[in-house]
This record gives sequence, C-alpha cells and structure tokens, in this order.
Amino acid sequence: MTRRVVITGWGAVTPIGLDAAGLRRHLTEGISGVRRMRDDDLLAEHIHCKVFGTVSQAPDYGFRRRDTKTMGPVAFYACQTAKEALAASGLDGAFIRSGRLGVAFGSTHGSPTVQRHIYRTFFSDDRQKLASVGAVDYLKSMVHTTAVNITKMFGITGRVIASSTACTTGSQAIGFGYEAVKYGLQDAMLCGGADEYDTTTVAVFDNLLACSTAFNDTPHLTPRPFDQRRDGLVVGEGAGALILEELDHARRRGAPILGEVAGFACTNNGGDLILPSPEGIVQCLRAALENARLAPQDVDLVSAHATGTKMGDVIEAQAIGRVYGDGPAVTGLKSYMGHTMGSCGAIETILVLLMMADGFIAPTLHLAQIDPRCATIRHVTGLREAPVRVAAVQNFAFGGVNTCLFLRRWEG
Amino acid sequence: MERDRITTELLRIFRTLFEIETPGLDEDLREVYEFDSIDAIELLREIEVMLDTVLTRAEKEAAMEIRTLGQIVDYIQHLAARRAGPGRARP
Repeated sequence: MTRRVVITGWGAVTPIGLDAAGLRRHLTEGISGVRRMRDDDLLAEHIHCKVFGTVSQAPDYGFRRRDTKTMGPVAFYACQTAKEALAASGLDGAFIRSGRLGVAFGSTHGSPTVQRHIYRTFFSDDRQKLASVGAVDYLKSMVHTTAVNITKMFGITGRVIASSTACTTGSQAIGFGYEAVKYGLQDAMLCGGADEYDTTTVAVFDNLLACSTAFNDTPHLTPRPFDQRRDGLVVGEGAGALILEELDHARRRGAPILGEVAGFACTNNGGDLILPSPEGIVQCLRAALENARLAPQDVDLVSAHATGTKMGDVIEAQAIGRVYGDGPAVTGLKSYMGHTMGSCGAIETILVLLMMADGFIAPTLHLAQIDPRCATIRHVTGLREAPVRVAAVQNFAFGGVNTCLFLRRWEG
Repeated sequence: MERDRITTELLRIFRTLFEIETPGLDEDLREVYEFDSIDAIELLREIEVMLDTVLTRAEKEAAMEIRTLGQIVDYIQHLAARRAGPGRARP
C-alpha cells in the first residue's frame, strides 16, 4: 500500500531572502544574492574565487540557551527553517512528539566553523590546549548535527535520516522523507538541508578549477548557468526545510496543502566520483518519471541543477534534451544565489512551490547568450507568467549521486 | 586559592559561557538554570584552565554530584589545595 504525500509547510534561510515575500521579490526582479567573499583569516586570501552566495540578513532566531549549546552555525540555520516549517504546517505539539513525525535533514559536513575551532585548539600552543576538544564541540560539528538538533529543539521522537551527500543532501532528505511517508513508516517527515558560510568548500572547487573567478568585482553577475560566459560555480550558504505529510492526515486537520511530492528517484553513476555522467543523469530522470507515473510531456518545468560549470551544464542540458526533448521550460535557480550545497535541493523545491502557487517561472539569471551545446532545451530567459502543474527538481553531487524529485501543484 | 577570587571567576564564566547572571551560592543550578551534564563538562574544562592543570577522571566524576555554585567553589578550593600540598607533583 502506498499513500499520497503532500507538503504542508516550509521555512527558508537563503541569500535571496528569509520568507516568501523576499524570495518572490528576488525571483521576479532578478536580484542576485551573491556577494564579495569575506576574509576568514585562513583560506579566503588564497582562493582565486572571491565571491559567495551570502545570507546577508540574520534571521531572528529567538532560541533558548538550552538548545543553542549544542548548535554550530549550520544547526542555527537548520533549526530556524524547521521552526518556520513546523509553524506554517500547524502541526501541534502532541503530534510533533508522538513518534509519528520523523526528521530527514542533512548538511555537507556538519559545521566547518566548529571543526576549524577544534583544529585551532589542537594545534595551538597556548594554555587552552589543556582543555583539548570540548564535549559539545563534537555535537556542534558532527555530520548529523542538523537533524538531531532539530529533534532536540522540538522534541521529535520519530526516525532520523541524516543524509550527507554534498549537493544532493537536501533533495535526498526530501526523497527519503517522501518514501517514509509514502510507505507508512511515518505520518509526516520534516525534511531539508543546510550549510553554513564556509570557504573550505570554495577551496575544494577552486582547486578543481570549477569556481567562478572572472566576476570577482561584479559578484551579482555570476554564476551564469548555460551562458556562453559562464566560468564556474559560486558556493553559497543557507537552509531549507519542508513538512511532508500523508494526504489524509493533512486533510483531516485542515492543513494548508502547498503541493504534492509526486515521485522521487536516486541513482549513482557507478564510476567516477567527480565527473557528471550523461547516462547516469538520464537513468535518474527516467526512474523518477516512472516512480511518479508521469510521461515526459506531463512535465511543465525543470529546475535544473545548473551550477554554472563548463561541462556540468552541457551534460545536464543534453540529458534533459534526451529525456524531454524541448518540452518543459528549464530554469537554473542557482543563478540567483550560487550553489548552497547541502541545502540547494530543499531551497530549489521551495522556490518551485512558490512559482507553482503564483503561476510564474523565474528565468535563469544572466543567460544572455546560450551556449550552443546547451541549446537543445527550452531555456527560460525572461520572467514568464505560466501555470506550472508538474515540475522536476534535479540535483547531482560529487560521488556520482543523482536525484530527481517531482512536484505537483495542489488542485484541491 | 582564595574563595572570593574563585567566586568572582566562576561568576564571569557563568555569565559569558552559560549566559547565567549572578546565580545564588545555594541555588540548584540544574533546577533553576537548566545547567546539565554538558554544561558541567564545559565547566570542568574551564576549571582546568583556571588551575592550569589536568583533572583526573576520578576528580571529574566527583564533580557530577555537585549542584550549587557554593559546592563548585568548595570543589575548586579542594583541587587547588591538593595540588599545592607538600610533595604533590602536578599531574
């Protein structure tokens, strides 16, 4: 027996806003959240890329100390979005603590800020070294810190899935949460991903020559997915959380239904851990269509992974073309805020829900001249009013992991 | 180590590290301020820095029974005295 799964709340912390109004304004007015990278006394001055998708407005957390003592910056983002998603869903405290709500939430590698603190302590010569690593430093930095700090803050007692697959962390969390509800393992799942401001990730991509460097003095003009002048990705920070709930459960309590998760697939390329695989992507997109019981022509919009790298965009565009032809509109939402890593799948899902609700499609920013190798698909180059009934959110990660989620507009 | 000096330093630690302002000497820190085992371990680290020493496992376990600021002051005085005692090598 399978059950239908709907979305009844979300929360977001992103470089382009903290709420629906802010996100909508950036998308419809074409405003970028990419800024000049801050100095961090460690890596920033050595990295060629000098731009970062930055959360420039601090959220109003209002957390209690008993909760924050085990939280690094990434958990602050995660818990903030979880708080907003739970509030929006209207789920009551008794249900939240009942064991029927689980958490699927992750980040790329816990809290790099805290990890740096640990290493500084370890290698320092001052008397603080006596103390070595504090008990809470591990709780703040560990890879599942987002998921379990959410369970602690809200008293959630259901299953915990802490995905950590780099760029597919957030989309995997939603997908695995969807499956948990679909197959009756939980009645609802709080799903998402988060990553904090971190130059280590930038350095990794910088060393691979995958970061944007040509727009260091004009950060708002990069990344440029599918564009001839694209020169690499821009790392960003942020978080997104969504409440996935069994349809009848949501209906019985009169919950706001924001959309339906219609299907999900996750595959691996079974080979190279860095290079994207056309065959692997095509396999994933077709598996997701089958899972959602959709035909390619049913799909109105594809939210592409579209990081703005030289080869990644070409391979993705050609894979989309092989699966869909030139049918669905294709947009690259990372053009607004860079690549928010573990959170990108969740944030892009939220942005698609917004576009579905409001009946518009935000264009890929800076797509002035389409790379001919990416030109076989139907790019969105200007703000478009259009109904979006079915949309795909696709993400691909180091390690050869591919994910594709299908969302359906809720028609009541 | 003087009791007043220890108390002043502890109040500074409680204010800056645990966001607890001027706790009473006899207040139950767990009940009144939700001071839990994680906080206790963090405080032991601060005490090691304060005394410029490393606490033994037995000394740390003994601290887990402590409930009030006054008891923490006693505990630190005891540790300091042990380390200052004749023929006692610092660990």
